[in-house]
Amino acid sequence: MSSYQAYFREKILPRVQKPARYLGNEINAVVKPHEQCSMKVVLAFPDLYEIGMSHLGLKILYHIINAVPRWTAERVFMPGDDLEKILRKENFPLCSLETVTPLRQFDIVGFTLQYELSYATILRMLKLAGILLLASERDDKEPLVVAGGPGAFNPEPLAPFFDFVLLGDAEEAFPEVLRLLEEIKDLPRRRRLELLAGIRGVYVPAFYREERDEAGIYLGTKPVSPHYSSRVKRAVVANLDKAPYPTAFIVPYCDIVHDRMVLELFRGCTRGCRFCQAGMIYRPVRERKKETLLALAREMVRATGYEEMALSSLSTGDYSAITELVNELGVELTKEGVSLSLPSLRLDSFSGELAREVQRLRKSGLTFAPEAGTQRLRDVINKNITEEDLLAAVKEAFAAGWTSVKLYFMLGLPTETDEDLHGIAALADRVLQAYKEAGGQGRPRVTVSVSVFVPKPHTPFQWHGQLPKSEILHRQRLLRQALRLPGVHFQWHGAEMSLLEAALSRGGRELAPVLMRAAELGCKLDSWDDYFRFDLWQQAFAEEGLDLAACAEKSLATSDPLPWDHLDAGVSKKYLLREYRRALRGETTPDCREGCLGCGMALLLAEEDDKGVCTRADLD
Amino acid sequence: MRIWIKFAKQDLMRYLSHLDLMRTWQRAVRRAALPLVYSRGFNPHPKLSFASALPVGVASAAEYADIYFAGELSAADMEKLQGALPAGLALLCWRSVPEGIPPLMSLVRAAAWSVPLPAGVRKTEARVEELLHAPFLPVRRKGKKGEKTVDIRPSVLQLAVDRPGRRLTMLLAAGADGGARPREVLELLALPGNGLQRDEILLAAGPYLQAPMAVLLKEKEVSLNAEKDYYQLRQ
Repeated sequence: MSSYQAYFREKILPRVQKPARYLGNEINAVVKPHEQCSMKVVLAFPDLYEIGMSHLGLKILYHIINAVPRWTAERVFMPGDDLEKILRKENFPLCSLETVTPLRQFDIVGFTLQYELSYATILRMLKLAGILLLASERDDKEPLVVAGGPGAFNPEPLAPFFDFVLLGDAEEAFPEVLRLLEEIKDLPRRRRLELLAGIRGVYVPAFYREERDEAGIYLGTKPVSPHYSSRVKRAVVANLDKAPYPTAFIVPYCDIVHDRMVLELFRGCTRGCRFCQAGMIYRPVRERKKETLLALAREMVRATGYEEMALSSLSTGDYSAITELVNELGVELTKEGVSLSLPSLRLDSFSGELAREVQRLRKSGLTFAPEAGTQRLRDVINKNITEEDLLAAVKEAFAAGWTSVKLYFMLGLPTETDEDLHGIAALADRVLQAYKEAGGQGRPRVTVSVSVFVPKPHTPFQWHGQLPKSEILHRQRLLRQALRLPGVHFQWHGAEMSLLEAALSRGGRELAPVLMRAAELGCKLDSWDDYFRFDLWQQAFAEEGLDLAACAEKSLATSDPLPWDHLDAGVSKKYLLREYRRALRGETTPDCREGCLGCGMALLLAEEDDKGVCTRADLD
Repeated sequence: MRIWIKFAKQDLMRYLSHLDLMRTWQRAVRRAALPLVYSRGFNPHPKLSFASALPVGVASAAEYADIYFAGELSAADMEKLQGALPAGLALLCWRSVPEGIPPLMSLVRAAAWSVPLPAGVRKTEARVEELLHAPFLPVRRKGKKGEKTVDIRPSVLQLAVDRPGRRLTMLLAAGADGGARPREVLELLALPGNGLQRDEILLAAGPYLQAPMAVLLKEKEVSLNAEKDYYQLRQ
């Protein structure tokens, strides 16, 4: 036992409120002696254990790396406030959970960028670990600080902090990175990064710089030498069915947000909702075979002892054999006393049969996402569902025995008017009526949850600015009034958090000093109401000569170079622009399984066999 | 089949809360593929409970689980269960429970605790004497309705210094009708309490207090050390 381990476990843990977060010896956690490992990776999730441990990507990477005997992957999360204070006061470095090893002693510290509100936490964690924030200042001995996840498709606000960023699926790319690093371990840092840049999906921010004209107008982010590609291509796992998938999930001791097994049915989505970044950056749709899934499910139940399994994907009802899968899984899981939950069900794929299956096995409530209150606005965002779809689905659900449903909407979508907001209330009212028509007893509980639209890079709405705060508040008030219906419960998201998300989401490298300043001022865990300090964020922006609100609200000209233009998610700018224009005209675009739309994804797939529904090379 | 299982909760496992421990056990039983019995109702729960909650951070040499299984369990099953439990939760022994015995939790009357003594054994001995002679031992306790004062003297059943072992041992009443908390006694003794552990849980058996496994013995032996009488797991 290292001295760090003994001190942490004997002297520090007795003083923290939730020690079960920091034990590192949960069932299925992997502990390897470091002296026998040629590559030591620590996977860092910039949020509390309860959030980070609920994340599938972390589990996949942990599994893939640890499956190689000579590599080790450990975990680290943002410590709770009480532990952070102790670490600072006693100058005890942030350590991995499994072996209580300081982060500095790993070869790679890998952060996942899941949401913008975690960015300041990354800097806090690096500081707690005693790792220099700026990649350019780190010496040969310090770990490579790396990022991946959806935020990697615009990592520019964090560019100076990462040695490299991995774009896309990590299943193949990350092992490739580790194999190369193993060989070139002793080379100088800069040389290692040069060689890594040759791997598909690897983006080294230091090899690119923002170019500006004399007037300071941004011209684009370009490679510093012709040696580097002008656009970094995303890594794609073409065959998901054959890709490794973890079954021995780590089983936490304490309660976490999603405390269950997760079975990933497929990656990607063919629906083309125009606000949805995941629907754009995870193309094309790739399924696992039903047989593969059943075998994985069986193994998972054995290996974890979990009492609940969730089916995961961007749109579970779109899985090609969903009813058969749910039926067969249901039979097996019932025998084991395991319940099944199906998040992410689309309204139009929610059949009566599926409803009854899920009802039989369910534990959780039912959530649908119409996203917008009128057909006009649903057409603008290309959410190709109708009011009839919604009412049919909730009637099926009520008939199958549900008494509560949750409906998700967004506020502030492009072209939204007050009429669209009143449409939300009208829909909620019709759902109440549908309950009566379905023969429901008493009153149902209808939760209307309304988040604020945040424009995201690599989506057709990337050019569109967010609403000003005053307007967000006005529209939330309007909704609160309109939703005063018996049985309806209104939930909304904070305008200020959404503003910060929008400001960071489409920002460039000018935001890096803002993030540093915010972390210094004490910002962290910003998605938690307890910690979020909008005033400090405004101060950080202002001190760096920027205005937070202006960053969030700015609309971009479609001819402007964008800070993420050099990062290739597969979907072409031409396609996004076409979709944006169709959106503003209120024109929908069909599901791409009905005919390839030429979004550009086909160009990113190397093998003809992998192209599946992607048949057109590019737009005409 | 209903069984009581005695187990230790040590090392890192002392940091698990009562709820954490419950989750951990339920999942271990499922991993071991042993058939739990579930309660009826809308949200069925496995029939698995523990004798008494242990404060987070405190180790124990004697915790007890009270579990209903569908069918008989063999020694091999218990080995499987041990294999499915995390390090730090060691099964010590188990015994099947005849019909008609109330929930283990409802039978708990006292617990034995011990703590290593730092320097100043004699001083502690003197303080222990004082405490045992005091008519009242008021302590402040935080409840839902604010702080209140409780007299724990009736709940301090035994208090002794084990001089050669350099330990303080405490027998404190526990269970539904109140009791004394080990930390409260340690505070009265001005002891830090590092290394506090629970040594045994005691049930009412007529006029006596008995360890749970002893209560299950057919003959009413009065023994705190009946380990040899029941099935012992291979180490």
